[in-house]
Amino acid sequence: MAATVKVMRRPEAGKTSYLRATLKGMQLTFKHLIRPGTVTVQYPEEEPEISPRWRGTHVMETHADGRPKCVACGLCPTVCPANCIRLVGGEDDMGNRYPIVYEIDEFRCIFCGMCQEVCPVEAIHVGVHFENAEYTRERFVYDLDRLMEQDHPSTLLWDPSDPRSE
Amino acid sequence: MGENGQKQDIVTLTIDGREVTVPKGTTILQAAEAVGNRIPHYCYHPGLSAPAQCRLCLVEVEGAPKLAPSCITDVQDGQVVHTESASAKGMRQGVLEFYLANHPLDCPICDQSGECKLQDYVFEEGRKHGRSREPKRVFGRDDFGGDVLFYGDRCVMCTRCVRFMDEMAQDPRLTVVERGNRSIIDTFFEEGVEGAPYAGNIVDICPVGALVSKDFLHKARAWDLDHTPSVCPNCSQGCNIDLQTRDNLVQRLKPRPNLDVNQYWMCDYGRHRYEWMNRGDRIEAPLQRGAGGHEATDWPGVLEPIFTRMADGAAPVRALASPFASNEALAALVYLVQGLGGGEIVFRSPRADEEIPLPGFPKLTRRRDLVPNRRGAELLGLSRVGEEDGTGGLEELKDHSGTLIVLGDDLTDLESDFGAHASLYLYLGSHFPPAAAEADVVMPITTHAEEEGTFTNYEGRVQRFWPALQGPGAARPAWLPLSLLAAHLNGTTPPSGADEAFVRAGELAPEFQGLTYESIGTRGALVNEPVTLPGGKLRS
Repeated sequence: MAATVKVMRRPEAGKTSYLRATLKGMQLTFKHLIRPGTVTVQYPEEEPEISPRWRGTHVMETHADGRPKCVACGLCPTVCPANCIRLVGGEDDMGNRYPIVYEIDEFRCIFCGMCQEVCPVEAIHVGVHFENAEYTRERFVYDLDRLMEQDHPSTLLWDPSDPRSE
Repeated sequence: MGENGQKQDIVTLTIDGREVTVPKGTTILQAAEAVGNRIPHYCYHPGLSAPAQCRLCLVEVEGAPKLAPSCITDVQDGQVVHTESASAKGMRQGVLEFYLANHPLDCPICDQSGECKLQDYVFEEGRKHGRSREPKRVFGRDDFGGDVLFYGDRCVMCTRCVRFMDEMAQDPRLTVVERGNRSIIDTFFEEGVEGAPYAGNIVDICPVGALVSKDFLHKARAWDLDHTPSVCPNCSQGCNIDLQTRDNLVQRLKPRPNLDVNQYWMCDYGRHRYEWMNRGDRIEAPLQRGAGGHEATDWPGVLEPIFTRMADGAAPVRALASPFASNEALAALVYLVQGLGGGEIVFRSPRADEEIPLPGFPKLTRRRDLVPNRRGAELLGLSRVGEEDGTGGLEELKDHSGTLIVLGDDLTDLESDFGAHASLYLYLGSHFPPAAAEADVVMPITTHAEEEGTFTNYEGRVQRFWPALQGPGAARPAWLPLSLLAAHLNGTTPPSGADEAFVRAGELAPEFQGLTYESIGTRGALVNEPVTLPGGKLRS
């Protein structure tokens, strides 16, 4: 099969005026200069609005008495494609299965949200949050206490009024 | 089952359009299984009687007025069976819906999750959503004693556990109480199955998460476990087991069916002795004794000095082996001792006071010898010394002035001056005992869970095991360094693998001759010569 070659017509140097294109560009610039309303977000004084379906660092939901909702079923470490969740299950003094160790390495996490999707008790969630800076790398391994302390809203993985995107 | 080839003993029937020929007396369920068609069932277990009460294995038999329970219906010539017809499938779906009417659906916190037959069957054929609007009855959980925990809500009333205790353990401790949907498994007395030596099997045969092991409770999910076929090393019965591991640790032992050795069962004594395979304080590198104690080096670093020292002259040799070592390691040790001019090789093994047979299958017995390879050691010409608890008997070795080789024995009852008089003291072990302090060379070896090899059980059945764990550091199977040393002495080439090391054991002991890893397979093979059973009977 013969390859077809598209010949591009380039303006020749010295024979073309760029004035028209420059004026067209400047027109847009000046239009924004006098247009009402600004584009710049005054972060950090102003918080930008992010989508409710943004998938950020994790949140562990808790019961009213402060226990984590997690029952250590092991589905999130199983489904996690980045293998960033470490879980050791055990039994508390009330006979309930609970996570003795629950750690998420947020550096390893790819924020796919599958842990939230697979959780049978709606315990682990990805959160609507983007300010994650820390001074040390170790602080990015979130343990259970840290995950329960996170107070940002959790992600809506789907629209509740249209769960199947129909 | 008659297998004499006479025409009336063979039945040909059709199952789902496939013609099946099986011996007379086979049930439809077994015949279907023979052609790879697994009919769902709970109450039927190949090792127990079939009460046909779970109603899940109902199949359509042409000409029969209603569906037949395939686990107790014998095959007949010309029978036409449908397991996937609309009526059979509809019946299974209905039965499963009834099972779920009171099932708590607590799969996330249930230990059986992932290996649960109720989960499997409902996922395959059950209804997507339950229609029951009634509140579920709640029993909660009950401690059955021993290692067994009972979650009544999850029970499907297959009564396998009751029948195991009645028929196999012949120690009826469980029964069904109450009627209808209030019926439940219960113990007769407060102690439950406490002290019953085979009670752990009821956890294995429970198709759902009603009976779970306390030892394994919340420890690992079934789908995270790696399975390796192995042999129980805790007595000379040599039960076939499934070593279930995770994160390079043994999590639990489960019996692996072998009708010639342990059927479907194993004893609690063996089942719960696996922690030693997870011991952490291992020797990770070959150690060479210098002026300031032992120093870690590499394998050539320890083997080459021995080559030269062994070439110096023939000092008298004495060796102590452990009956936890494989046939391959013991044979390699025998070759090495022969190469050094020959000498006595002894082993010590603890013996229990009594045997613990399983009354329903007396061939399965917790044997008195609490080691896996006593028979193999004896076939290779080793002799037992010491007391019934596996100590003592080493007076001659203690003061031995020639070459001293210790393979795998922990030397727990000995002081750190053991082997001080020996001209060359080689210690091969997985842990460093105080009595190895005088060893010129310490070689790290793998345990049976970390290597490939064979054990010979009490009746002379050679059985293979496979590596389930990663050995630490430079630890190697004991046959490897021993064979290298022996090959150097004898001027032969060392075996290329465990399989060849086993074939060479056949050149030492005629009992092993002709056996290969391939012919042993996963089921084991008996050694050639007649051997004497503990009861004095002869078996060929």
